[in-house]
Amino acid sequence: MAQYNLEPDSGFTKELMEAGGESLKKCFQCATCSVACPLAPENNPYPRKEMVWASWGVKDKLMTDVDIWLCHNCGNCADLCPRGARPADVMGAARNMVYKKLTSPSIVGQWMSKASGLPILFLIPAVLWLVVWWIRAGFNGGEWFPRAADGRIVFGQIFYGDYTIDPIFMLTFFGAVGILAVGVRRLWKSFEPGKVLIVGKTKSWFWHLFDVLMEEIVTHNKFDECYGGPKTPVETPSRRAGHMVLVYAFVILAFVTAVVALGHWGGKVIPLIKIETPMPLTFPVKILANLGALMLVVGLGLLTWRRMRLNPKYQASSFQDWYLLGVIWVVAITGILAQCFRLADAIVPAFVIYYLHLVFVWMLFAYLPWSKLGHLVYRTAALLYVRMYGRP
Amino acid sequence: MASKIGVYFDLQNIGGGLDVEALAEQAKAKWGDLTPVVKCVPVLCDAEKEILADIEANGLDGVLLCGASPRDMADVLRLPVLTEHVNLREQCVLAYKNPDGSPLGNGDAPELLKIMARDYVNMGVVKLQKSEMPDSAAVEGVKRILVIGGGWTGLTAAMEASATGYEVVLVEKADVLGGAANNIPTGSPLKAPWEDKEPTNVKAKIDAVTADPQITVHMSSRMAKLEGQPGEFTATIATPSGEVTVAVGAVVLAAGWAPLDPKYLAGMGLGKSPKIVHAAEFGKMLVAGKVDARRIAFVLDTTLAEEALKSEAPAEPEAGGEAAKAQVEEGEEKAFIKENLESIKHLRYSNTVNSVGMLRLANIVCEKTNDATQAFILYKDMMIPGILERFYKKMQDRLGIMMTKADVTAIDDRGDRIVVSCANTLLGMDFDLDVDMVVVPTGIVPVTAKDVTVEFAYRQGPDFPDLGLFDGFADSNYICFPYETRRTGVYAAGCVRQPLTMDACEEDARGAVLKAVQCIEAADHGVAVHPRSGDRSYPVFNFVRCTQCKRCTEECPFGALDDDEKGTPKPNPARCRRCGTCFGACPERVISFANYNIDQIGSMIREVEVPKDFKKEGPRILILACENDAYPALDMAGMRRKAWNPYCRIIPVRCLGSVNAIWVSDAMSKGFDGVLLLGCKYGDDYQCHFVKGSEICNRRKENIAETLNRLGVQPERVEQMEVAIDEYDKVPDMIDDFVARITDMGPNPFKGM
Repeated sequence: MAQYNLEPDSGFTKELMEAGGESLKKCFQCATCSVACPLAPENNPYPRKEMVWASWGVKDKLMTDVDIWLCHNCGNCADLCPRGARPADVMGAARNMVYKKLTSPSIVGQWMSKASGLPILFLIPAVLWLVVWWIRAGFNGGEWFPRAADGRIVFGQIFYGDYTIDPIFMLTFFGAVGILAVGVRRLWKSFEPGKVLIVGKTKSWFWHLFDVLMEEIVTHNKFDECYGGPKTPVETPSRRAGHMVLVYAFVILAFVTAVVALGHWGGKVIPLIKIETPMPLTFPVKILANLGALMLVVGLGLLTWRRMRLNPKYQASSFQDWYLLGVIWVVAITGILAQCFRLADAIVPAFVIYYLHLVFVWMLFAYLPWSKLGHLVYRTAALLYVRMYGRP
Repeated sequence: MASKIGVYFDLQNIGGGLDVEALAEQAKAKWGDLTPVVKCVPVLCDAEKEILADIEANGLDGVLLCGASPRDMADVLRLPVLTEHVNLREQCVLAYKNPDGSPLGNGDAPELLKIMARDYVNMGVVKLQKSEMPDSAAVEGVKRILVIGGGWTGLTAAMEASATGYEVVLVEKADVLGGAANNIPTGSPLKAPWEDKEPTNVKAKIDAVTADPQITVHMSSRMAKLEGQPGEFTATIATPSGEVTVAVGAVVLAAGWAPLDPKYLAGMGLGKSPKIVHAAEFGKMLVAGKVDARRIAFVLDTTLAEEALKSEAPAEPEAGGEAAKAQVEEGEEKAFIKENLESIKHLRYSNTVNSVGMLRLANIVCEKTNDATQAFILYKDMMIPGILERFYKKMQDRLGIMMTKADVTAIDDRGDRIVVSCANTLLGMDFDLDVDMVVVPTGIVPVTAKDVTVEFAYRQGPDFPDLGLFDGFADSNYICFPYETRRTGVYAAGCVRQPLTMDACEEDARGAVLKAVQCIEAADHGVAVHPRSGDRSYPVFNFVRCTQCKRCTEECPFGALDDDEKGTPKPNPARCRRCGTCFGACPERVISFANYNIDQIGSMIREVEVPKDFKKEGPRILILACENDAYPALDMAGMRRKAWNPYCRIIPVRCLGSVNAIWVSDAMSKGFDGVLLLGCKYGDDYQCHFVKGSEICNRRKENIAETLNRLGVQPERVEQMEVAIDEYDKVPDMIDDFVARITDMGPNPFKGM
């Protein structure tokens, strides 16, 4: 009988359990979760099937499952699970496994999957930027904490944009984008579009993407739909507000970075749009940047507070969850502190903190494809995919 | 024979506008000297002293309590004389409705209700008049319990019985104790928290039994004969050193089980490959350290085996069965042939034990290899009994154990691997699974399916009746009394009764020992065991008139009656459960109980006032109601004001099996227009407390119909209906429908003759 040859792998199950799904074996397949989920489609709902795949270690099914990306983790399923199997966390763990394994070099994925990988993840950019600092100190006559000619603290004196920050970050950024692109292509292919029957009118992928961006990101409406599920005895705090503030903060900061980059590099051609850094505090771009930083902290605060209030009986936090929150926290704090020390004219702490800021920002971007932040791309892709292939 | 009866009316329980004083006056006037005391008391429960004083002062030898149902009042008053109840509350006042359906007024009781109450009181008086205080048929209860089988259950039973202070004789057919448990050093949980496998320590159990001076063990022995009756059985045991005879009070049957013949599992590949084994075999391999497979499929779905068997020669066993049956009929009493009841059905019955067992085995393999082994449990029904749910939960957590519901469609040995094909799985797809080994279920076949275990020296044969009904298990339909068999004093426990996990076997052993103890004590006191616990009456035979027709000895559901060569019945009161099926059978009416007999019920029937004018004063219907189910159902209907036709008169009977045809003749000659027999459900899923009573009654009804036909009375005037105890909502309608049919039929042609 030529049919699907199942290859159960308890090793994969074990990895999943370590990635945040430690309760997955408790599932006894009652499917309460699939009924409780306000987002699951009536046909072939989730997360019941993901739970059994997880328990059997059916790697190829789980890793190529589009549904794990549709879950917004409201925790309804976990609240109602009669066995305490925490399906929401298992879905999260499955996503963590995709971050870990989808793209190479997969060694980064392994470091990213547990706390023991943290030192090396930190050391790479720490050494990188220390080397830059050392070289640039040489340019400043061996001075590690130099002042500008007018006595101000200018970080650019050490971490000179044109030759250090910009090329390194551009390489990092576009490298990450490249890796994500490879990841998305693999993921998209693995969803197996050939098996999906498309019924009804279709529209261009572009408009579908527009819908996704509007509903998921611009308005965050899907979050409400997720939390609007059946009432459960457990009070699960919503992540909508925190997530939304954080996303907008990133958008603002990305915009500011783009404006500054444009001003800097464009200014070399068209002097009119030239922007000098550090910008004065009253400069509109600087105001926007500081607003972004503030929003970042507010969003982070909300999300962290929410995560701390979660009842671990129903929803726990994996290393990936804390890593992402932590890295953004240190990026925000070091960024703000660097500015404060700079303005307070405390030169040593200013440079040290700025150096750390660069290290953390690099971590955020360089490891993005293997971190939970990868959902930015993968989830969007999955959402686009299901819309294109027939699900609302 | 009660000759001085005190009649007491319980005022608090008689409403409906009945003039109780008038009722009392009527009784006094009618019965005269027979009822020297007739009183109306405000609250009967408080009148005990008064009644006792009356008994003392007037030399009363019977007391009639008129008021609530006897079910409500049975043990409220304990009087030293014969006591009967008249159910004026539930089945008279509360059950009353006008025959035309018109609403009841608030004033005086309607005439029909008065007549009904009067009838019931008179019937009660007659009942007492025809009753006697039962003497006792006590025997010297031997305080020794025979345990058949020295396995897990038998050992537990022996220890428990000994701990309770009873001597034990244990018979084991093998040369070692422990039975199947010897192959299970680690079993499913036996105690709280019911989560993990446990060492069974069967060795310790064996040692405890062998060391116990109160326990005598006969190894390599079988039962040769069990004769006598509870309290004073004589067991003959065939031991290697000859026959041993020992007196025992009761028997615990813990003969155990044997694995189902592998041929029944051929469809799943058992016997075709060394890599396919059944669970018990796998357990042995595991103990011997012979399992090195890393991917093991535990297949609980037995469809393959069943399908294979179905497609294979379906005609053959039928022919064999027919032949065996014919032989039995020919030889009848001479030749007893033990039918082999082993079948594929035992596989399904064993699903619970296999579900638990496979989880346990899978867990042990996974644990031994630190989860390097993957155990796939493929089930159709995962059945985990009771608290073992906790065990299941724990096993589920094991990394190496993977479970899914699946239809296993093929098990194919490809040499280097076995491919198990699964369909309709929880994984949302059909798939093939490559494994190194396949474990199929073990069918638990009770020893009683193939062997005669007890060898009763009873007139009805050496084996348990009804084994066919339970596919060889020594089980019964007594859902509340699991250890009961149809042989009083013999209690089945463990896998011989039902496939059970080890913890359940231990519980079973304790339960059966308690029943055995109860039985010995009951025999010692001369009272019935079950279900009429504590009843002192027993059947008495008037042998002068006995024609040796053997009906009673054949029909007794419990084999209580033996007979001699001529066929004269030999009663064994301690085996008897006091249902009265024997006297229902007796055409000569030579059997009676002191407080329940043919003449008594016949006199009650004759005591009812039957009006001559059918049209004006209505018909009269006699209802003989089984007091175990139908009577309580009627009580409940009354309590809930679900009234029925007031032309009915109800007489409770111990069992429909005790209904003698003469009562129907009595009713017809008295002028009753119909007789309704309300009994329990019968057939394979019987609810009859006495197993066969309602079924036997139904059979006798055919003879009654013939007699009625000869007399020119429509046989439709006698009907039997099945009522369950909870059908109080249906029973009034059943009665009303019957009355309507009788009314359409017109009066009984014998009326007024």
